[in-house]
Formats: sequence, C-alpha cells, structure tokens
Amino acid sequence: MDSRLSNSSSSTHHSNSKKRKKNATANNTNQKTLGVAWGSKSLSASSCSSRKSPFSDFSSYMAHKNCKLQNQFDSEASASAARKPIFSGVSIFVDGFTVPSSQELRGYMLKYDGRFENYFSRHCVTHIICSNLPDSKVKNIRAFSAGLPVVKPTWILDSIAANRLLSWVPYQLEQVASNQPKLSAFFTLKSSKMSEDTFTNALCQVEPDVQDSFPRVGQLKERHPSEVGEMVEVCRQISNESNDISSKKTDVFMMEEPIGERVICDEEKLAEANSSETNNERNTEGELDPTYQEPSTSFSIPCSDNQNVHQFPSSEATGSSKQCHSTLTDPNFVENYFKNSRLHFIGTWRQRYRKRFPTLSTGLNNGISNSNKSDIKSVILHVDMDCFFVSVVIRNKPALFDKPVAVCHSNNSKGTSEISSANYPARSYGIRAGMFVRDAKALCPHLVTFPYNFEAYEEAVSCDEAFLDFTDAMVEDPELLASSIRKEIYETTRCTASAGIGGNMLMARIATRTAKPNGQCYITPERVDDHLNQLPVDALPGIGYVLQEKLKKQSVNTCGQLRMISKNSLQKEYGMKTGEMLWNYSRGIDYRSVGIIQECKSIGADVNWGVRFRDMKDCEHFLINLCKEVSLRLQCCGVQGRTFTLKIKKRRKDADEPAKFMGCGDCENLSHSVTIPLATENVEILQRIVKQLLGCFYIDVKEIRGIGLHVSRLENADTSKQEKYTLKSWLTSGSASVEKQKYHMGHNKHNSDCANCASSHGCIHSQGSSFQIDNKILNIHVSGDPISTPPPLCQLDVEVIRNLPSEVFSELNEIYGGKLIDFIAKGKGKCESSSSLGNSLEDDATCKEEDLPYSDPIPLNQIFSENKAMQHERVLGSGHGSCSQVTHNSNIERDDLLPSSLSQIDASVLQQIPEDLKAVILEHLPAHRAQDFCSTPAICPGRINQDSVGVDTSKNCPGTVNHALNDSLWAGNLPSWMDKFKDSSCLRKLGEIYHRSGFNSQLSSVLPQFLSEFHHLDLTQEIYDETVNIMCELLKQYVKVKIERDIEEIYICFRLLKRFAVKSQFFSRVYNDIFPFLQAAVDDNYGGSLFMP
Amino acid sequence: MQRKENETPQGQAASVLVEFLEVAITAVVFLKGVYPSGFLLPSLDSPSSMPFLFFFFFFLLLLLLLLLLLLLLLLLFDVGKGAFERRRYMNVVVQRARHPQLRYYIHATVSGLLPFLQKGMVDRVAVVFFNTDNVPLEKFIFKLTVNQSYGSSVEGVDLQISLRSFLAKLSVSESLTKKLPPDCRWEITGNFQLLPETGTSKEANFWIPTDTKQWEQPLFITPIRSMSSDPLCLQFYIEHPSLSESSVL
Repeated sequence: MDSRLSNSSSSTHHSNSKKRKKNATANNTNQKTLGVAWGSKSLSASSCSSRKSPFSDFSSYMAHKNCKLQNQFDSEASASAARKPIFSGVSIFVDGFTVPSSQELRGYMLKYDGRFENYFSRHCVTHIICSNLPDSKVKNIRAFSAGLPVVKPTWILDSIAANRLLSWVPYQLEQVASNQPKLSAFFTLKSSKMSEDTFTNALCQVEPDVQDSFPRVGQLKERHPSEVGEMVEVCRQISNESNDISSKKTDVFMMEEPIGERVICDEEKLAEANSSETNNERNTEGELDPTYQEPSTSFSIPCSDNQNVHQFPSSEATGSSKQCHSTLTDPNFVENYFKNSRLHFIGTWRQRYRKRFPTLSTGLNNGISNSNKSDIKSVILHVDMDCFFVSVVIRNKPALFDKPVAVCHSNNSKGTSEISSANYPARSYGIRAGMFVRDAKALCPHLVTFPYNFEAYEEAVSCDEAFLDFTDAMVEDPELLASSIRKEIYETTRCTASAGIGGNMLMARIATRTAKPNGQCYITPERVDDHLNQLPVDALPGIGYVLQEKLKKQSVNTCGQLRMISKNSLQKEYGMKTGEMLWNYSRGIDYRSVGIIQECKSIGADVNWGVRFRDMKDCEHFLINLCKEVSLRLQCCGVQGRTFTLKIKKRRKDADEPAKFMGCGDCENLSHSVTIPLATENVEILQRIVKQLLGCFYIDVKEIRGIGLHVSRLENADTSKQEKYTLKSWLTSGSASVEKQKYHMGHNKHNSDCANCASSHGCIHSQGSSFQIDNKILNIHVSGDPISTPPPLCQLDVEVIRNLPSEVFSELNEIYGGKLIDFIAKGKGKCESSSSLGNSLEDDATCKEEDLPYSDPIPLNQIFSENKAMQHERVLGSGHGSCSQVTHNSNIERDDLLPSSLSQIDASVLQQIPEDLKAVILEHLPAHRAQDFCSTPAICPGRINQDSVGVDTSKNCPGTVNHALNDSLWAGNLPSWMDKFKDSSCLRKLGEIYHRSGFNSQLSSVLPQFLSEFHHLDLTQEIYDETVNIMCELLKQYVKVKIERDIEEIYICFRLLKRFAVKSQFFSRVYNDIFPFLQAAVDDNYGGSLFMP
Repeated sequence: MQRKENETPQGQAASVLVEFLEVAITAVVFLKGVYPSGFLLPSLDSPSSMPFLFFFFFFLLLLLLLLLLLLLLLLLFDVGKGAFERRRYMNVVVQRARHPQLRYYIHATVSGLLPFLQKGMVDRVAVVFFNTDNVPLEKFIFKLTVNQSYGSSVEGVDLQISLRSFLAKLSVSESLTKKLPPDCRWEITGNFQLLPETGTSKEANFWIPTDTKQWEQPLFITPIRSMSSDPLCLQFYIEHPSLSESSVL
C-alpha cells in the first residue's frame, strides 16, 4: 500500500516502469479469472500487493498474480528431479474439495510434467478436476466448465499408477457424464404404462414439456380405406355444422358494435411468433393450424415463456350480451376466459378428438411401423386444409372467394385485435396472421373480417391437418391416393386441402409447404437432398426465431449450409438435443413415427389477459376459480400432480398501461413451486397450496398482470378402468389414488368426504394423524365394493376414528346409526386396560378374513434375490399365516417390484445396499406404509421374527454385536422398541419418524421433528405415566448404547430434550426423570458430569 | 500422506491420527490465543520503505492510508494471533505455529505417541491450560479407542473425512470455551492405560509422569465432536471445573 502511493505520485523509481510493462504483457494473456479465490488467498494477495508494483485494477493484479504463480510453479517443477512426462500438455484446475487434496494434485503435476492452474482460465486449463459438483453447476455445466472435461481426481492417480496418460473419458464425473436412469424412473415406468387415458371432459389441456416439432394431428393409420372415409366424415361434419352457424355469424358481422364493448384479445404469443418467423408454416398458409403442439412457437420465442396465452374473444360465441373484460367485473372470469379462448380451444382439441375416436387412437399399432422401418421405405402423407378458419367461414359465400378475408375478433379498423387467419387473396396484400387489424386494414382497406365461430370448429373436431402412414398400405402411387383424398375432401366440405408426401413426417410436412395452396407434392427419397439444399433453415420445424438468429450469425441461411457443419460442433454450439435435431433435419432424417401418443408432463392454466385486482380478496377469488379450472383439467386427464407451480406476471415498475387493451404489457415473470408428498387433483388442496404459494411472492396484488398455475410430476390416477389393479395402483401412487377413485365415483358422499379430508391432511402436513386416516380409507375401500355400504364396525380402527375431525366423525356416526360412539368407548376401554398389543392383533386378524387385498404383500426379496434364502428361513420359522400368504402372492404379483410396505423390507438388506439406492427406496414407499408397519403387526414379519432378525443382523455386522446384545430396546436393525411400544401413540409416532429417516440414523436427528410434533399431540391427550416411563426407558437404553462411543450424540439429544422441557410438561417430566441417570452414566465413563448450559 | 501398504489397520489409523492430533492441538492452542504476538507483525516479514517520510504532504496521506491498512490487517488477521500462519490440511484452513520450538514441541509430543497409539495403550490425550498457580483451568481432551481386533483394511480417505469434521467444528466452538487469564501456560498430557515400561524403547523414555494438580470440585464436560469409525473411535470434549461463573447456570 505504501509503495503504491509512492509509485503513483512520482515516477522516480526506475524499476516500476519495467514492471508496468510486464503487467501489460500479462494483461494480454486475457485470462478469465474467478474472483472466488480472493477471500481464501487474501493473505498472500495483500502481502504481495504491499511488496510489488502497483496494479491499476483487479484484473491486472490477477494477471500478475497468475504470472507469478506460474513462474513459481515452473521453478518448483524444474527443481524436482527425475520427472516423467506423463501429464505433459495437461493443465488441471481443481474445483472444490477433492481427495487427494488440491495441494497433492499440484504435487503430482509438478512431478509428472503437468501444469496446475490456481485460477480457472479457458485458455490454460485443459481438465477440470473435482469429485463433486453442486447442483447448480451440474445444471449449467457448460457455463461452469466452458466445455472442458470435468474429471475425477482418480484419473490422475490411476494415470500415475499406470505410468502413462489414461483416457479421461471413463473418469468423467458421473453427474456430468450421463443422466443415469434413476431407480425411481424404473419404478414409475410401470405405472405410466398403465395409463390408458380416458378423457372424461372435453375442456382439458395438456402441455407436453418435451419439445416435439411435429404436431401429431392425425393419429390415423392408413390401413383401410374406410379410415380415409372417416376423415372425410370429419370434414363433412365441419361443413354441416358451419352451414347453419355461418349464417348466424353474418348477422353478427353486420351488427355495429360500440367500440368499448369490443373485447380485444391478447395474443402476444401468436403475434410475436408470426412477426418473427416469416417462414413459419402457419404464416405461409395464413391460417391457424389448430395443431396441438406448435413447437416453433412455444419454445423459441424469447419473451413468451412457453405458457399458453389465451385470448378472450368477443362474447358472441357464448351468445351472452354481457361483456366482461377483466377479473374486476366478471365473477366467472376464469371460466369464460377459457371458454372463449381460441388457443385454449386449439390446445385441447386433441383430447376431444381422442374422445370421439377412441377406437382409432387406441387401436394404433406403433410396433409395426417401427419394426418395418428398416426394410420398407415408409411413405407418409401429410394433408393440411388450406387456411382452415377462413375457408370454413367463406365457403358458403361464393362472392367472397376472391376477396381478401380474415378471421379475427374485431371489425374495428383501429382495433388491436390480431388476425388469426387470412385467405390467399388477403395474403397477397401482405396480411399475415398475428397482425393487428388496424395494420391489416391499412394494407387492404376492403378486407372483410369475420369473427370466430368456435362452435363450428368445435363440433367439427377441428382437425385440419393429418399425417397418414402409407407404409403398410402398399399403395402403388401415393400421389394418386393423395389426389383422391383431396378430391373427396373438397367434394364433401368445399374446402381445399393440400397434401405432401415424403419419406417421413418431416419431409411430408415440407412437401405440403411447397404444395400450398390447393396442391400436392411428392418428395421422393432421391429428391430429398435437392429439395433441402435450398430450403431456408427456419422452414424446418423446431427452428424458431432465436435459433434462426443464432444460425444467421454463423451465416447459415439454408439447410445446405447447415449441412456443412459437423454434428459435433452443432451439438457443442446448441446443446445435445438441438444439435442432433438440426443435424438430422438438415438431412431430412426424422425418426418419429406417426401416431405416438405423448404423455403429458404438466398440466396447467394461465390467464394473462384482463387480470386486474383491487385487493387480496379479488385475487383470492380469482385463484379459487383458477384452481377449479386446473383441477378440472387434471380430472379430465385422469392424473394427479405433486408439484405445483404458481407463475405470476408482475408489472414492471416503469411499465405503462399496455398497448393492448387489458393486456399484460411489460412484465416480470415470477414463479414459485412446491412439491407435496401425495399427488392430488383436489380443488381444496389446490386452493390451499396456491394461497400458500401466493404468500411466497410478497407482491402487491395490484401489480399482478397474469397468473398461471401448473401442475407437474403427474401420476396416473385412473384406476376405475382396471378393477384388478386397484391395489397395485394404490401401492404405486399412494392412497391418493384411492381417494381419487372415490372422488370420481362420487356415489357415496361419506366416502368422498372422508377421502377429501384425508388427502388434504396428508398433503398439508405430510405427517401426523393423516396416515391413520389414510389407512382407514384403505379399510373402507378394500372391503369389497367401494361404492357399497360402509365397512362393518369391527374393521374400523379405534385409533383412527378417534382422530378423525369432528365433522367427519359425526357424519360417520350418522351412517353407522350412532353405534360409532359406543365402539369408540369400547375401544378406548380396551386400549387402556390391556397394555399389550393383543387387541389390535385381534382386530387385524378379524379384518384379515374379509380383507384379502389388505394382506397382499410382496416381499422385497424379489428384488434382492441374494437374500432369498434368509427370507425363506424366516418364513419357515415363523409358521404364521400371513407369511405363507406372502410367498403365495409373490408369484402372482411378481411383476410389481415395489414391496407393499416398509415392513416387507429386510432391514439388513436395506442396510447393505448403497446409500442412494436406499434413499430412493425409502422415498418411494409412501410414508403411510410405515404406519402399516406399526399398526398391523399381523403382516409384519419383522416383528414376528424379532429374535431371528437380531441374530441375523449381528452376524452381518460384527461391529455391533456387543451392544446389540447388551440391551433389548435398541437391538437389531429395526430397534425392537418400535414394536414394543407401538400401542402407545406418541412412541408410535417416533417410530414412524425414525422409520422415515432410514434405519441407521441417530436419535438426535429424528428427535427435533418428533418433539415438535409431539408438542401439539400433547395438548389433545392426557399425559400417561406409562408413556413417560416408556420414554425414559427408551432414552436410558439409548444412553447406555451411546455413552461410550458417542457422547456428542447424547449431548445433542439431551440439549434438545431440555429445550423442549420448557414447553411441554411431558418432556420436563421425562427430562427430570432421566437426567440423574445420564449424569451418573457420564460420570462413570468420563469422570465428570455433562455440562448443560 | 503416503502410507505403506503393509501396515496393520491399527497402524494406519494411528498414523492418520497422529497427523490429525498435531493439527488439532495446534488449532486448540490457536483457539485459546495463548500466544499473543506483536501488533503489526502478522506475516509481513519485509518492513515497509521509509523514504517519503520527508514529504509532509505525503505524510498526511500516508497516515490515512496506514489507518486503512491497520483496519484491513485487523480484519484479515485478527491481530493477536500472529504466532500462527494459515495452512491447509485436508482442505480445511488450519493454523500452523510459526515458531519452530512450538512447532517442534507439538510435533514431537504427538509423534512420540505413535507406538502407543498403535498398541491401543493411550486412553486420552489432553491439552491442559493452567493459570499462573499451575492450577488447570481447562482441558481439551481427545479420548481415543483403537479397536485392536479390527482386521480389515482402513480406508484412509474415509477416516480423513471424518477427522476433518473435528477441525471444522473446533474452529467454531470458541464460544464453548472460557476466556483464559493472561500469563497462562499449557501442556500436552497423555493418559495411558498402563505405564509404558521404561527402557523398552526410546519412545517410552520420552514420557515422564506428570504431577498435574487435579480438580477438587466435580468437573463438567462439554462434548465437541464424536466419531466412531472402525478401528478408531475418537471423542473430543472440554473439561472444566465447576467454578462459580460456569456453574451458575
């Protein structure tokens, strides 16, 4: 610092100028440095700066430092004798904690002619060494590594051991190398397979997250000519429906409507998409393809985050004269919004279509087309109606045929409504879809505009585009067939259609593009290359505005130019998937086959138009409606979700009122999400979650311009179809599916109510009494026909009934004709009188007779076959009825890999499998199964064979023998106290929590959760002396086990206990009882007492 | 860090342990701040130049800058602990004594323990702080158990990672300890399960029985960290007498 001053003030010191030059040269290396290291290296940094020449800024300082470090390294390297040039040319950068440490690695580099960089620089470093990466870096690996290999340190060690430079590829960090399939994916695969979608409601919308460029509109498979006829039938319907409607519409058209009454829609997505993508197919056709997915619009537009932006068309469609524009005035805003939204209509047509032709879509046989692909040249036909929206409207008005016509919401020439479709005469004026009406009118003053007629499109199923797979049809001349189809379409609908034929979906679509309007084109495999060569890149599906701009920067404008670039560099530049897609598409390769049904990944609804709130109440009301909508959509698709994302568009601070009437304008996009343990589609739960999420934003409701709710992590809840799968699906998706099923059937009010409350409990506080209720639902459910009478009294669990909310209880009581109260009283008496587990055992035994599915367990040993022998032994040893059933059922249910409950899992096996696997298994067994374990001892082999478990485990882990035998309560892998005390409600809870956290975790880690839960459990029940005693005994034994080897654990436990003793009488008693014992134990072992501040 | 392959697991564990103890004991001594050092000494071995004292104008500026520098030093080096320098051990920032004698004392003591550690004879190693009257004020105790019957090989890396947590915990546990009065003294003592026979080896002669005063009052224990990973079980805690100020609570 001192010298810095002197240098800047006077240049008397000669040496300084030299140094400055050196700095300048160092600067030229242009190193990208990471500033992180500043803190840790501060000592050397500051000492360095005080001694050395001044640095104009941080970068020159860093450059100098790097230079110095390199010199240092070089001198050290030259000093170390007898180097073997294993790592010559290799320069490593060590990131984070590694074994061996970075200093050791540096030593190796010194020794074997490598280089070691202290600071990351793209130019110097060749390999990044690290053992672990944080999630954020993994996600953004390219930004972190700048494309350099990220390698584990063992690479260096192994290379040294092998005395040569090994390939780094096998040593790549797993996190980066591959997205290894997780066990969870394996488990869920089956459940998703079972999803035979039935769509019960037409108004559902599915948004697949997977980018897929072709709308799979027609899932028709061209095998029988009758199917062609079917499609024609569709078109005929169009014509019929729109005949009567279009007449109505002309009236509307004639009507002069006040300007203010007009509803102007927000179609920002469309607008942006179309203005930017001139070659978008939709644009060239000038009509809106009512396609299900239009990837180029939903994925590549910079500002419209792939939400669906819906518009609010004029209310003629609904036929109501009342015009409600915003959330402020319309109580049913959400409902109307989606009713009138064109994009929503388009987005959901596929479901409607599927519903209409269930046999067609389910009858698809993808296997054939896949298997034949290799030997038979496939032929795909793409049929597309020419400017569909307009054609439907004008085909009854021959006078308008050669006039420019457009379909939009408003006829007002100053309107800001967008044109959604224009016919070819209109296009010749330069009118494009997505234009504002006022601009269009300026271009073409005599443009005739028509409003939408949704009913017409709706009734007609609105399929204006279809892919047909000719491969198996063995048609001699595809062109002939195409023209016959087109002819038939025209004859029946009087709308023209274009057709394209190609070797795959990509080529067929490109062919259609050239064929338009009203023509057809066949691109034979030989002509593919010629055709593609001149094709502009943005004609390819999947290439949107952003990608096009990027390509333009590389001066790539046509597919021919794109083909010059190697696949590797494309993938490096644009990412794996996009790169491959570009490479494939530019060569006309498209592996997708017609008619694949995509699973939806998320379901949601966004409202970004007309959202204005005065206060919180407005907002909440709106959210409730939105939840209803989303819930409805979930129900239509027969799925339930676990992750809920609330997206909010917030007005930017400096943004003015948007140009579009009631539009969202310039907004910040915010989002919060939450994941709950049990999948749901229940409206009330949704509402609660959404309210909670809204709270996370800390936002002024007046600033909100748009709200979207999305549900992801979908699980299939559709169980009504396969009765025999009920148990299985229950096992895979938790009790939620049971709830869902009931909810759907809706015959039994009591059942659904009960279920609702259960799932809401289960979701909001994922632990607690809800498990018992869930269990109860199972009880109700599996007792024969789910919609019939409630289960007999004997099957009810007293504990559960007692914990039910009072409303539910009273309702239940009504159903049972008041017998329930007596039952409870009796159960209570039993419970108090017998401290043993007799009664519950008895109860369960009686249940068992009727309840076959209830005892339907699948042992884990199917997965871990090595353990089979052990399990077998146990089965023999116990001779218990349920166990024989276990083996019996295991044959039937062999395909289900998930064990029915945690109790089926052999703890010793679980202990031996790797940590991550264990975590996945525990996670995938819904938590309430732990409850099974505690409350239904009859099907719990672990308890029955308590002794044998103890022996087995002690054999497995010799280290634990000593203390495992010494005490009784903590012996074994499943501590025996969990069974012993399971009739005490509080300790049962402890057992559950202990279970959830895995078997080997320490008490201190589960205690806080238990204590906090116990706190409110405490209020409802009296303190039993017995419970205190049990708790004391438990802790005593724990102290005994741990005192010798882990005093820290004891210390933590007791400090927690002490903290809770202040709040809870129960714990203060426990604490006071146990404390003397603890101190005595510590004194014995350590000659002092534990210091409890 | 390189260890021979043919060592017994106990031997491996012991050598890791010795290394660790050296670092940990230094860390304890550093934590207690027994070695205050000169005000501006930390790690600046080159004195700053003086020529511009002559310029009055610059002098004023210099004063200002010096003040800034002092602040910086205060922040960065926590003045008063200059007897140590920062080093990395198992990728944790630790301190190392700068004074060769201090360094030697810790190093020699701990490495003297090695043969006994291998045999599992050492029960605990304590760092004891005394006041001027040679009354112990505080003891930092490492209670060790080396499982002699453990047969399989030791994963040195695992052991290191668990030992690492000790250092991390220690660096944040200053609040658990008491403030030492000035002029205190400290020593390293080892509690052996049985006295090493004198004359059997060089190392045995190294150790002399201590006559450290024992506390009259019952003592209190504050555990800091425990670790149990075969063959080594290590517990680290603080012992302090139940003197008035601490036992009030």
